[in-house]
Amino acid sequence: MPDTTPPLSIAVADVTVAYTNGHIALRDASFTLDAGTICALVGVNGSGKSTLFKAIMGFLRPAKGSVRIAGLSVEAARKRKLVAYVPQSEEVDWTFPVSVWDVVMMGRYGHMGFMRIPRAEDKRIAQECLERVGMGDFKDRQIGELSGGQKKRVFLARAMAQKGRIMLLDEPFTGVDVQTESAIIELLRTLREVGHIILVSTHNLGSVPEFCDQVVLVNRTVLAFGPTDQVFTEDNLSRAFGGVLRQFHFEQSTIQEHDGRTVKLLTDDERPLVFGKDGHLEYTDRHGREKLVKEREKEVGE
Amino acid sequence: MTDLLTPFHYDYMVKAILVSGLIGGVCAFLSCFITLKGWSLMGDALSHAVVPGVSLAWLLGLPFSVGAFVAGILAALSMGWVKNHSRLREDAVIGVVFTSFFALGLLLLSLFPSNLNLRTIIFGNILAISDPDILQVLIISAVSILALGMKWRDLLLYCFDEVHARSLGLNTRFLHFLLLALLSATAVAALQTVGACLVVAMLVTPGATAYLLTDRFSKMLVIATATGATCGVLGAYASYFLNGSTGGCIVVLQTLVFLVALVLAPKHGLLSARTQRREAAMS
Repeated sequence: MPDTTPPLSIAVADVTVAYTNGHIALRDASFTLDAGTICALVGVNGSGKSTLFKAIMGFLRPAKGSVRIAGLSVEAARKRKLVAYVPQSEEVDWTFPVSVWDVVMMGRYGHMGFMRIPRAEDKRIAQECLERVGMGDFKDRQIGELSGGQKKRVFLARAMAQKGRIMLLDEPFTGVDVQTESAIIELLRTLREVGHIILVSTHNLGSVPEFCDQVVLVNRTVLAFGPTDQVFTEDNLSRAFGGVLRQFHFEQSTIQEHDGRTVKLLTDDERPLVFGKDGHLEYTDRHGREKLVKEREKEVGE
Repeated sequence: MTDLLTPFHYDYMVKAILVSGLIGGVCAFLSCFITLKGWSLMGDALSHAVVPGVSLAWLLGLPFSVGAFVAGILAALSMGWVKNHSRLREDAVIGVVFTSFFALGLLLLSLFPSNLNLRTIIFGNILAISDPDILQVLIISAVSILALGMKWRDLLLYCFDEVHARSLGLNTRFLHFLLLALLSATAVAALQTVGACLVVAMLVTPGATAYLLTDRFSKMLVIATATGATCGVLGAYASYFLNGSTGGCIVVLQTLVFLVALVLAPKHGLLSARTQRREAAMS
């Protein structure tokens, strides 16, 4: 069977969204993403992150501009089940009487018939997705009995079971332990490798350079978008966050050679974002960045 | 021994018992969705809002269930409209709209007396149910069971995660309307058994009971339907001996079952919660 789907992409062009009460949530927002990317959507609360998500899912009709997914309208994209959504934990009713298996099966609804009776194929895919997130042993648990990280992984499995090649994740790391965070990141990377577009809405700045290759900065419009190391600059971030971010500046004198040039940063819950002296990004995870490390070593040698 | 069988010698008692059981079961099935969607107040509102429809149907010579159903849907639509076009909170909107409908119903019934008198509508009178009315109840029940049987999985997803349902391409507007229509229809059917005041009990209590007893939705459906139907049958049966209101008997019975579940439910009961707290404190 020939693959008739056009190449994957998200193109948001000049989108303005106004709510019925006249409030403009987003003005002239534009960005494009091509296949095989993990992109962070970064901005303060109320900056229009969730409005952008809703516009991409086709829940909101822009007053102006357009959203095209793989060259299609959002409605056509929804018919092809291209977009999968992983909700914020706060949006889910965890006391609901459904099991892990039920939730993952819901991801298959779009592929089932009128009565939504699962076929062997649906069961196989649901099982496979559960195992990929390491939750195969928790099938019969009620969803409220899971830890924060496990809950997140179940909803990730649901999105994967949907087989959407565009995945929208809303604050995936809130209330998640460090191991799960790395496991989720690892999983997202494998999805990126097979050409998925993953758009992650987050206010956890520190984790962005670690796993996102692109960033869309929003504050009532798209302030900047592109590769992380170009967009994630102090200048852009202060435009996105105004004065909201707390800054700690370490004078060079505090970091001596005898410390091995290392400092330890402690924060509550969230990963800090660390800039080097000339404003370049510092990474804790150096895997896959060997080239960059070498380059910087050379600078030292000079 | 023969005393216990006396109710079955009366045709009207047999009818009352069977119809109460059927309505109890259908309402209970729907109650699982109503409780999980958080629409209990909506159920109460709609069961009162159907009253003017009964009177108007009589004036127009239509079956009372048609008028009641239309009034229920109109009430639901006006609630939705007022909520979207005003800054009022939902509970205030529901309060204003359903009392207006109910008051209009009272007014109409007092001005134009119909075959169903006010007492019957408000408190129900299953013992006097006529054969055409039984037919209406049967049709409503059959349609409701059919719709729920075919679409319960979609409705479940709609109640659980509306955003996900929409992103999958499910028609959530239709599902919302379907749930409202089923709510109105069953409220109309239950009107004659327990009356407008107690309809909400039939539409909430069995679901609430089952929710305490299980963590699986499919089991919840079975438990709720079984308790709803059983309470309907036993309540109607017991009302013969107590010589009391049938609706009252059915709902009191449902409440007793609910109380037992509230205290003794294996995982979510009060006793079990206490034990869990103790164990947590000990360890």
